[in-house]
Amino acid sequence: MKWLAIRLMSPVGLLVLWEVLVRLSGSPRAPSPSTVFVAAGELIASGELLAGLSTSIVRVLAGFVVACLVAVPLGLVMGAVRSVERNLDPVVESFRPVAAIAILPLVILWLGTGNTAAIAIVAYAAFFPVLVNTISGVKNVEPSLLRAAHTMGLSPLTRLHAVLLPAAMPSILVGMRIALGVAWTAIIAAELAVGAKSGSSGGIGQMMFVFYAYSIQLSGIVVCMAAVGVVAFCLDRLVSLCLTFITPWSNAR
Amino acid sequence: MMPKIALKGVNKSFGHVNNAFVALSDLSFDIRAGEFLAVVGPSGCGKTTVLNMLAGLDSPSSGQILLDGVAISGPGAERGVMFQDYALFPWRTVRGNIEFGLLYGKPGQGVSSEARRKRVDDAIALVGLSGAENKYPHQLSGGMRQRVALGRLVANQPDILLMDEPLAALDAQTRIILQEELLRIWGQDTAQETRRTVMFVTHGIDEAVFLADRVVVLSSHPGRLKAIVDIDLPRPRNGETRKSARFAELSQEIWELIREEAYRATMK
Repeated sequence: MKWLAIRLMSPVGLLVLWEVLVRLSGSPRAPSPSTVFVAAGELIASGELLAGLSTSIVRVLAGFVVACLVAVPLGLVMGAVRSVERNLDPVVESFRPVAAIAILPLVILWLGTGNTAAIAIVAYAAFFPVLVNTISGVKNVEPSLLRAAHTMGLSPLTRLHAVLLPAAMPSILVGMRIALGVAWTAIIAAELAVGAKSGSSGGIGQMMFVFYAYSIQLSGIVVCMAAVGVVAFCLDRLVSLCLTFITPWSNAR
Repeated sequence: MMPKIALKGVNKSFGHVNNAFVALSDLSFDIRAGEFLAVVGPSGCGKTTVLNMLAGLDSPSSGQILLDGVAISGPGAERGVMFQDYALFPWRTVRGNIEFGLLYGKPGQGVSSEARRKRVDDAIALVGLSGAENKYPHQLSGGMRQRVALGRLVANQPDILLMDEPLAALDAQTRIILQEELLRIWGQDTAQETRRTVMFVTHGIDEAVFLADRVVVLSSHPGRLKAIVDIDLPRPRNGETRKSARFAELSQEIWELIREEAYRATMK
């Protein structure tokens, strides 16, 4: 009990401090913990929050899957074949610093403001962490494993799927974990930036935009921020659970 | 009779011409069919380099290595290698590791899935891993990992076993037990014609004397042939062999051959 009380002290203290400061300031717009809780209750009860979140989550997962489908095979080949890596590395490295949000104008012009555009942004954002970690995973494969495979006469293609892919799997999964976090950040930013244009279709980011630009409801914005944080946390925990499940050998080494 | 493997004037150097490190110099010896040949020498004598070249993982800078009279140009299913660090696939179970070559490699070509299962079962039983088939390498002791590596090797049924200090990482008791196991698996109780050909690289003189029919002694920097010692201890060999006067005599003889260099290497 005492231990729990100590752990709860700082978050509860912060909430109290927040409430007190808002009351003291007397600003009608400043969101306080109490108004945020009320807003959260309303948004959950009406189903809006869940609808917004699920739209965004589906986009993230779709974009994430697309990114993995491209990045893992490409990363395997880039990591395994020197000449391919030499050719593609400059291209990859010059795109990598370009943030997902920076390709938004082009994506909107090409794909509009609907799901396709959202998935494209997410896929772009998730692509690089998966690719980079796949390449480094392949390059760090224990050389003796490759030599063992070589002495058993594996063909290059078999070597790729029977040795390199599983050996690089722990690193690939780390990349995927990072990618999912980045993808979630990117989708919120993209939905916010697209705003409530006609033809765009919801998502938690757009919900925030509406609170910001139309109804000017600060408590709603804070509710969205908190929801984004909670979802990010859950996604990460889910992935790290998958990691220990898929690659039980990599933690135990 | 033609030797199984013949090394003829093998030189090996690494690096650029002007700045080359000479690992092996003018090395010639034969390995006979069905023989257990041990290679010993101080560190830096190029033992592992010899093994890698026989495995087809590396090639001589000059000279020839012939297998049944034909130059070795790469790995082959008739040669199996056991590495010092075992090189087990951590994501595969004991069974998954032992069947790996049959499933994905040359040794499995033309082997039906039924025959494969039988061979894997036999290999598991032979190396004494029954009951541990579904464990992962990280759940096993060093001695058991070594057995997995040996099981993978015998499941592939190569004619020639190339072993690179396979027992070096084990504690003394486990090593002694596995030496006797190794001789059993190799077939020291069977007729010589049915035995596989083994080249066993080690830095343990006792180990070489206990296991081998002949011991090739190399000197270091660069690796050269110093002597080939016939081990005339009777087979099957066992705990009694280690106690015999002849065993001590042969060990001493080999130790005399490399002592000076071993000291020099230690003091350097």
